[in-house]
Amino acid sequence: MNEQRRQILQMLAEGKITADEAERLIDAIARDRPESPPGAASRPKARPKYLRVVVHAVDDSGGDGPSRVNVRVPLQLLRAGVRLATLVPPQALTKVNAELARSGVPIDLAELKPQHLEELIEHLDDVNVDVDDPSAKVRVFCE
Amino acid sequence: MIPHLVTVRRRRRNGRRQRLYIPVLPVLLVLSPLLLLAVLGGLVACLVTRVSPVGALRGAGQLLWALPGTRIEIARGRTAVLVSVR
Repeated sequence: MNEQRRQILQMLAEGKITADEAERLIDAIARDRPESPPGAASRPKARPKYLRVVVHAVDDSGGDGPSRVNVRVPLQLLRAGVRLATLVPPQALTKVNAELARSGVPIDLAELKPQHLEELIEHLDDVNVDVDDPSAKVRVFCE
Repeated sequence: MIPHLVTVRRRRRNGRRQRLYIPVLPVLLVLSPLLLLAVLGGLVACLVTRVSPVGALRGAGQLLWALPGTRIEIARGRTAVLVSVR
């Protein structure tokens, strides 16, 4: 029972207000702050299962019409991929890192560990990337 | 759970549609001799490159197990390709 409701009942018990007035006040409180359904607050947030990439692009080149890409990848696949990537020998990783850096993607794959990925996936449900361009709309999110 | 069915749908420019349903397990059984050779080749490659063969097998298995639910859909104008793994 919240404090406002308790005060109304107290005033009713002391005879300061009538039963009708108390009822109207309680209704007003309920309208102002609707109660959440039972268990809604304590229910854990569902973990995302899929990474979605949606691209809508208008036709701007050959007259083929608009392009649409819709990709759904299980996050479990990302985990498996990273575990597999950890098996790559260090000398191969060095070469890959050098090529990535040359292509403008300075990512050190040697730093990618399965335990880090778990942490990343834990927070992926908050990730929502929206790119709005006159010629294309890109959306990356988890569901 | 390993994938059961891979569906490939294709729409050509002239509007003609193609659907291909690939039941994974029967196809794997049919191709098992080739698969065995591929696994042996992979094991040799692992030994040559000093990668743990057990880890590589486990990683490949996890990759296979994680495939169900994957869906890739690409459409451009009148042409489209859809690959779905269930």
